[in-house]
Amino acid sequence: MAEKQREERMLVRKIEEGAVIDHIPDWKAETVAKVLRLDRLAKMQPNISVAILQNVNSKSLGRKDLVKIDKWHVDEKDADILSLVFPTITVNYVNEWKVSKYHPKVPDVIEGRIKCPEVLCITNAQREPVVPKFMTLKRGRMLQCVYCDSLLDFDSVPDHVRS
Amino acid sequence: MRKDSDFLGKDVLSIRDYKRDQLERLFHSVEDLEKSPNSLDGLLKGSLAALLFFEPSTRTYSSFQIAASTLGMQVTGFASPAGSSVSKGETLHDTIRMFEGYGADCFVIRHPMPGAARYAAETTDKPVINAGDGSREHPTQAMIDLFAIRKAFGKLDGLKVGILGDLKYGRTASSLAYGLSNYDVEMIFVAPEALQMRPEVQHFLKQRGITFKSEKDLRNVVGELDVLYVTRIQKERIPDPTEFEKVKGMYQVNLETLKEAKPSLKVLHPLPRVDELAAELDATNFADYFVQAAAGLPLRMVLMSLVLGGGS
Repeated sequence: MAEKQREERMLVRKIEEGAVIDHIPDWKAETVAKVLRLDRLAKMQPNISVAILQNVNSKSLGRKDLVKIDKWHVDEKDADILSLVFPTITVNYVNEWKVSKYHPKVPDVIEGRIKCPEVLCITNAQREPVVPKFMTLKRGRMLQCVYCDSLLDFDSVPDHVRS
Repeated sequence: MRKDSDFLGKDVLSIRDYKRDQLERLFHSVEDLEKSPNSLDGLLKGSLAALLFFEPSTRTYSSFQIAASTLGMQVTGFASPAGSSVSKGETLHDTIRMFEGYGADCFVIRHPMPGAARYAAETTDKPVINAGDGSREHPTQAMIDLFAIRKAFGKLDGLKVGILGDLKYGRTASSLAYGLSNYDVEMIFVAPEALQMRPEVQHFLKQRGITFKSEKDLRNVVGELDVLYVTRIQKERIPDPTEFEKVKGMYQVNLETLKEAKPSLKVLHPLPRVDELAAELDATNFADYFVQAAAGLPLRMVLMSLVLGGGS
């Protein structure tokens, strides 16, 4: 434990407010940044800082990545979506230096955050006021579009996050 | 005809929404109507049906139009988006709200985009009947197809059904496969790999424990089949024209193709046909497609009556 803390202390400072996405499989932090659209977030809120740690020692995973976001709390729904791709992740929310852990859950329904892979799906129509919606087929590790029934496997979710 | 709470006021979006006993009740009512063809005339007098066809259609549009008119309904809408406000860029959402404002009691919608029917149903409280949404579903055609097979054999259980042609883009093929999953049937999907049944359909059938297999060449399986359901290659839905050129004409069903078929084989087709079904079959006992097509009108009349609550 001391070694782990020492290693992290060397790499990034503690944050007063924000979130740490932990237990990301090694070298997958960029996918997490993509799903959370961190580049877009940073453009909208310039005071946000993001630290990405890669290939860090982990008791449970051997090696892991972390994403530490200063002054922003990851939405639990986004964390739940991340857990489709990376079931091991946890999120530590930091409020006034106090840490609380969130274990993301695979959601039954996902609304608004993911684009349907079927380009002709009504949810991809330019001007229709329709929000994409997916049901989770947990056994098959797939999402199914509620409107057009198209399937999207969990691992392909990062490529279909709405911009 | 008695009111049926499983249909009354409900949308008709997917054949998957119907269980076997509900389909059987529907089919019994169609048989009753065939015995007494005028028994539903004027039943829905005073109601308004909005037929909104965002994709050109002649036969489905006409059959719904005739069905609604025979039931005594007023009919409004369009048979093709050309000339309507849709061609000016109006959304599906706004079009439905407009016709709702005009007093439509139900909507019959055809749209090129998959999922449009479900979205339409969310836009209005009035019942929506899906008359085909992109390459996904055509539930009323599946009802007609099941009814026709049942009529030809007196049953559906125990049959081996081949579904041939463009199974990827053809909505009638997927809807029929969904509908057949209510019965104890075996299905063989005959298509080139590029046009095989879509993953979500296969996933659904596996979940329901339905026996099916895929086959490229009809000749390998034609002798096993009780029913051969032939579909047109959906040229308009194939994004790559070279893909269309590769497969067109590969799956023509004619007397030569059916040389090894059981004499009792019935050939069905949702029509219109192009090259895939030879006219030389029309005069044979194999041909069941015109009987199938004729079932469209009574079935749609019964369905509209059930949905709109005509009868006691």
